[in-house]
Amino acid sequence: MILTWEFPPKIVGELALYVSRVAAQLVRKNLDLYVVAHDDSRTGLEQRQDGLKVFRVANPVKTHISVLTWDLTLAAEFERASSDIIYSTAKTVSLIDAHEWLCVIPAIALKKAFDIPFVYSVHSIEDQRSRGASSPFNLAITNIERHGCDEAERVLVKSTEMRDELKIRYGVSPNKIDVVQPSSDTWIDDIVKVYEKAIRSPLQDFWRLVEA
Amino acid sequence: MLSWEFPPRIVGGIAAHVYDLSRALAQTDLDVHVITLEFPGAKGYEEIDGVHVHRVDSYNYPSPDFASWTFMMNLNLQAKGIELIRSLKGSIDIVHAHDWLVATAAVGLKHLFRIPLLATIHSTEYGRRNGLHTEYQTMIHQTESWLTHEAWRVICCSGYMASQVSWAFGLPRQNIEVIPNGVDLEKFKANLDREDFRKKFADPSEKLILFVGRLVYEKGASVLIEAFPEVLSNFDAKLVCVGEGYMKDVLISRAHQLGIAHKIYFTGFLDDLTLKLLYRVADVCVVPSLYEPFGIVALEAMAAGTPVVATGAGGLSEIVEHDKTGVRAYLNDPDSLAWGILRVLSDRKYAERLAQNACKKVVEVYSWRRIADGTKSVYERILSEYEKGSWKPVSIR
Repeated sequence: MILTWEFPPKIVGELALYVSRVAAQLVRKNLDLYVVAHDDSRTGLEQRQDGLKVFRVANPVKTHISVLTWDLTLAAEFERASSDIIYSTAKTVSLIDAHEWLCVIPAIALKKAFDIPFVYSVHSIEDQRSRGASSPFNLAITNIERHGCDEAERVLVKSTEMRDELKIRYGVSPNKIDVVQPSSDTWIDDIVKVYEKAIRSPLQDFWRLVEA
Repeated sequence: MLSWEFPPRIVGGIAAHVYDLSRALAQTDLDVHVITLEFPGAKGYEEIDGVHVHRVDSYNYPSPDFASWTFMMNLNLQAKGIELIRSLKGSIDIVHAHDWLVATAAVGLKHLFRIPLLATIHSTEYGRRNGLHTEYQTMIHQTESWLTHEAWRVICCSGYMASQVSWAFGLPRQNIEVIPNGVDLEKFKANLDREDFRKKFADPSEKLILFVGRLVYEKGASVLIEAFPEVLSNFDAKLVCVGEGYMKDVLISRAHQLGIAHKIYFTGFLDDLTLKLLYRVADVCVVPSLYEPFGIVALEAMAAGTPVVATGAGGLSEIVEHDKTGVRAYLNDPDSLAWGILRVLSDRKYAERLAQNACKKVVEVYSWRRIADGTKSVYERILSEYEKGSWKPVSIR
């Protein structure tokens, strides 16, 4: 299950097209994929096309004072839509890929509620976006990003520079970070390998033991 | 139950409400867990009169504003909720949220575990601000609305609040239950050397007129101060104002202008025991509110056996019945308020009759036992409807 705040036709930056490309490739590899994305205004709540299943969420609170409060109420709606998918599939969802800090909160909640491991796909971090600003607003987003790195089974980045940034800024062990460059020929296979690594994480081993 | 305040963390009225309600519910056969925020010196977990109290980190980082902090600390409330529900292996039947301050955690838990959600709305942003004037206020209003629409049922403390919630959020009236706040009569029975205690606040020759509440516009303390000269022209009296608020300096300044500052005692906050005793030694308790979701001060005065003069603002109109359980004055009208106070002070037998009737009403309607029974029956109705539906979780691993 992929969680993303932008997905075509909602395109704000490069994230929408990147996630769209990942999703299409994963479906081509016969993975059973659900995408939960923000903004139902142009698509309706559900789209199914070429094997891809996209579920849309809208923010239950329309008026906001910042992207932070916007994200924190939207998170509950991501949790609702994702939980509905998990229950409708009899809890067979085996992995969550959360893109950017905006989807970290629901990913952590779903992990804790259902023991579904998650990959945190980091495209940028607050320190870069805000050029080192350290207001309480920036600090809150930084905390969410750090929390995401702590809770994720694997952290996926596109460059070694980002891997080094995460190590320096958030103290993430390089062993936990996978670098997959989108220009690589084996790009999608490498992402699948990261997913497999996350699914084989100690958390999952623990539950397999419990079930045995 | 999710509540952002619970004793010893007391910010407003929700703490006392959740404290008394949860204890009363635990006296029935219910297993009650309260998830709330930490407080210096308070334990992370403790059992209080059968209630399991879990206190979590309150997000102690700088926050851009109160609402952002609220949503951030909700992440910690929700994480504890997930942990608790899983550790109890799905035996939590209802999530009961108190006000918008726990909305995101509560709605998240509802959907993650498919547990029905009940929300108590203690007041509304619209009512607190007398309208919505900023994006910030509108955001809180919409969060409140979202919570009420996500809830299976909504509890309001008065018919007035039920109407306001229905109107403000477009919520069907049949989704709202009216269950009043309660009062614990035992808290008013502490030993008291009446004269000795009273001397701390007023001379024996003075009538003691009591105001309790935040010193903010909607509580109407300014109306009471305008009414007080007329009272003083008939009786030697002392007005004791308990509470703090942004209007304190304005009120003191106005009292000086009127030449009555020496007859008003602003006590600031008082501890709970002192306040309960003060209710008992007052000759009259005045509740001049302009906006009042419920009117707990009137109820506490009634429980203490003190006659009440109140406006009919909001929930007060349901507690104070004119000439029966108190005197009702017109809203925002100093002359009417002075008339009501003088009516009580000048007729001792009348005042005693009001106090007796009021005390009887408190016992019959506002005991926490009765309120817990009412709340429990709402829980049971929700569960009965839930059982008949198909919205259920797959068994939790």
